[in-house]
Amino acid sequence: MDFTFSGEQQMLRDSVSAFLLKHYDFDKRNAIVRSEAGWSRDVWGQFAELGLLALPFAEDHGGLGGSMADLIAIAEPFGAHLLAEPYLASVMLGGAALAKAPDGSSAAEWLEKIMTGEAIAALAYEEGAGTPDPAMVGLKAAKTADGFALSGEKRMVLSGRDADVIVVAARGGDGKLALLTVDPAAYGLTITPFATIDGRRAAHLRFDTVALPTDALILDDAETALRSLLDRAILALCAESVGAMGALLKQTAEYAATRKQFGVAIGTFQTVAHRLADMKIAYSKARATLLYTTALIDAGQSGAKDIAILKGQTGKLGREIGEAAIQTHGGVGMTDELSISHFHKRILANDALLGNAEYHLRKTGTL
Amino acid sequence: MNIEFGPELEAFRAEVCAFLDTAPTPAIREAGRKLTSVFGQFEQVMEWHRILYKQGWAAPHWPAEHGGTGWSVEQKYIFAEEYRKRDLPPLLPQGVGMVGPLLIDIGTQEQKAKYLPGILQGDDFWAQGYSEPNSGSDLASLQCRAEADGEDYIINGSKIWTTYAHHANRMFMLVRTDNSGKKQHGITFLLLDRMDYPGMTVRPIVGLDGFPEQCEVFFEDVRVPQSGRVGAENDGWSVAKHLLKHERGGGAQSPTLKRGLERIREAAQHTPSGFGTVLAEDPVFQRDMGELEADIASFEHFEKLAVSGHPIASDPAYPSMNKTMNSELTQRVTVMLTQTIGNEALPLQLEALRVGANARPLGTDLELIAMPWYLNSRATTIYAGSNEVQRDLIARTVGREG
Repeated sequence: MDFTFSGEQQMLRDSVSAFLLKHYDFDKRNAIVRSEAGWSRDVWGQFAELGLLALPFAEDHGGLGGSMADLIAIAEPFGAHLLAEPYLASVMLGGAALAKAPDGSSAAEWLEKIMTGEAIAALAYEEGAGTPDPAMVGLKAAKTADGFALSGEKRMVLSGRDADVIVVAARGGDGKLALLTVDPAAYGLTITPFATIDGRRAAHLRFDTVALPTDALILDDAETALRSLLDRAILALCAESVGAMGALLKQTAEYAATRKQFGVAIGTFQTVAHRLADMKIAYSKARATLLYTTALIDAGQSGAKDIAILKGQTGKLGREIGEAAIQTHGGVGMTDELSISHFHKRILANDALLGNAEYHLRKTGTL
Repeated sequence: MNIEFGPELEAFRAEVCAFLDTAPTPAIREAGRKLTSVFGQFEQVMEWHRILYKQGWAAPHWPAEHGGTGWSVEQKYIFAEEYRKRDLPPLLPQGVGMVGPLLIDIGTQEQKAKYLPGILQGDDFWAQGYSEPNSGSDLASLQCRAEADGEDYIINGSKIWTTYAHHANRMFMLVRTDNSGKKQHGITFLLLDRMDYPGMTVRPIVGLDGFPEQCEVFFEDVRVPQSGRVGAENDGWSVAKHLLKHERGGGAQSPTLKRGLERIREAAQHTPSGFGTVLAEDPVFQRDMGELEADIASFEHFEKLAVSGHPIASDPAYPSMNKTMNSELTQRVTVMLTQTIGNEALPLQLEALRVGANARPLGTDLELIAMPWYLNSRATTIYAGSNEVQRDLIARTVGREG
C-alpha cells in the first residue's frame, strides 16, 4: 500500500501550485470572475500548454493517459486557488463524455479541440435535485425519420453558456441512456445562463423538440460509461473541495493565532482551540478518504459505495470546516473581501453538484 | 499510489485466518462475543494470550529480538484486521502494549530480563497506576508520595482507575518524589513486582455497567525496592510521556468498528422500525447508518494511510487525532446499537454476560451486550487522556500540516 504522490506527480502538483500562486492570487482571480466572460482564456491556454487539458485522456485519444492520482495532484491546488476556469466542465464532464464515443465518431474531432483548449465542452446531465443517479434521467431522445428529437430540461449545466459542444445524457425510446452531441445554436434549444454562487458560469437548458442528425448519437446504452465518468468527475470535485478545506484550515489557524481579543490571541480560548482541532480532524478524514478512493479507482477496485462515501464525507466535512472557519473569523468571515466565504461557497457548490451529502450518505446506508 | 497488499501478503493472510479460525477455545470465543469493553473477561483473555504466545504472535509490534514477530506494518495490519473480524477479545494492553514496549525502549538490562518474559508469555498482568482522585486530566499534579529510604522507597497515597488491579500481580506507577519545583518535575516511574506488599489494598469499583473493571489502590507505608525505578528519579514525567506514544493510537481499530456496524446491520434485518417495516428498510435508519459507516470508512482510510507510511502519520497530532476519532466512533457505534436493539436492551443480565454462565441470555448475544457495551464505552473519551486534552494537543498543531 502506498498513498503518496510519485515524484512526477509531486512535480506536476508543485508546478501547478507555483503557476497559480504567481498568476492566480485571490485578487487576480476575483478580477477574472467579475469579468464579462467569468474565466480567463489566457489561463486556459497556459493549462493547455502545461498539458493539463489532455492529462486524464487516454493516449489512444491523443491524451496523456494520466491516472486519477495525477488528476487529484492538480485538482487539490485548483480548489486551494478557487479556480473559475471550466476544468471540471470541459475536461472531466464534457470531454470525458466525448471520450466515451467509439472510434470514428464525430466526437473525436471535438475531443482534440478540448485537449488543445480551442473548444469548451459541457455535459448536460442533471435535471434538478432528483437526478444524482443516472437511472433518474428523464430527458427524452425520440427516434425520428432522420435522427432524434430531444425534449425536456437540463439544469445546472456547468459551462452551459460557453460550451462549443454540449453532450446530452438522454433516455432513448428503448428506455436506455444515450449520449448525444448538440450544437448550442440548435433550433429549439433555450440556454438560460447564470453565474453560480462560487464564481463559475453555468446554464439551464431547455430542449423543445430539438432535432438532431443520426450521427449526433455518440454512445448508445451509455449507463455504464456515464457512471464511470461521473465517478471520476466526483473524484475531481472532491479533490477540489479538499484543496479548499486545506486552505480554510491554514488561514483560520493563522487568524486565530494573530487576532487578539481580551488582550490575547483568540486561539488561546479553549472553545476556539477545540473548534480548530475539530477542523483538523475533519480535514484529515476527508483527505484520507480522497487519497484512498483515488487509489481504489486507479486499481479498478472502486464500487458505488466507495464513491458515495467520498462524496458524502467531502460534502459533510467540508460544510463543517467552512462554517467553523466563518465563525472563527467572526465579522470578517462574513465578508466578500476575504477568501474564507469564497472557499465555503465553492465547497457548498461542489456538495450540491452530482448528489449532495444527504443523498450520498443515505445511499451509503443502503448499499 | 498503490492499494494492493501484494500476493505474498495474501498467503500470510491465509495463514493468519487458518490459525484464528482454529486456535481459540470455545470459552475464548464466548469471551469475544460477550465483549462489552476493550478489557475482555480476564481468565479467557489471559488464556488466549498464552495460546498466541505459543504461536509466537502475542506481541506483533515488539522487536523480533524481544519476542516480536518481525512482521512488516502491512502484516501487522492484516493480523489486526482478521483478528477483529472474528469477535476475538483483544489482549490486555497494559503489558504487551504499554510497559513492555517502554522497558524495551528505556528499561535496564536487568529490568528487561526480569519482566519482559512474563509480559510476553502472559504469566504476569500489570496494573497501571497513574490517575489519582485529585489528578485526572491534570496528571502531573499527582501526589502519591514515595520517600527514599535506603535501597527502598516508602509509598503513601492512592491510585484510582487502575483497570483490573484486582487481577494484577504487578504494577507500574507514577509517584511524587519531589515537591519543590514545577509539578512535572519530581515525578518518578516505578515498577512494583508484587501487588501484595504489606500496606497495599485494592478496592474494586463497580462501574455503571455493573462490572468491577476499575479499581482504587491504597498505599500505606508500602516499602518497595528502588531497583524498580525506570529512568532517573524525578524524571518520571518524560518516561510517562514516552509510554503515551504506545498507549494512544496506532494499529488497526477500524475493523472493530466495522464489525460492530455489521452486527447492527444484521439485527436491523429483523427489528421492527415502529413504522411498519423492519429497520433495515427505514430511510432514517439507512441515513444514520450511512453517515456512521462513511465516517468509519474515513477513519479506516486514515489508519491505512498511517500504516502505509504516509506523512499524515508523522504529524505530531496523529496519535491524538487517532484516539479522538476511534473513541468517538466507538461511542457512536454503541449508541446506534442500543437504538437498534430498543427496549430489548433493558433487562439487567450480569450473570448471563459471564463466560460459562449458568443463566441463558433472554434474547440474542447482541441484545445481551448492547447496553453494557454502550455504558462502558462512555469511558473511551475519558481514559488515556480525555478527548478535551487530546483536542488541546491537536489545536497546537493546526496550520502546520505538510
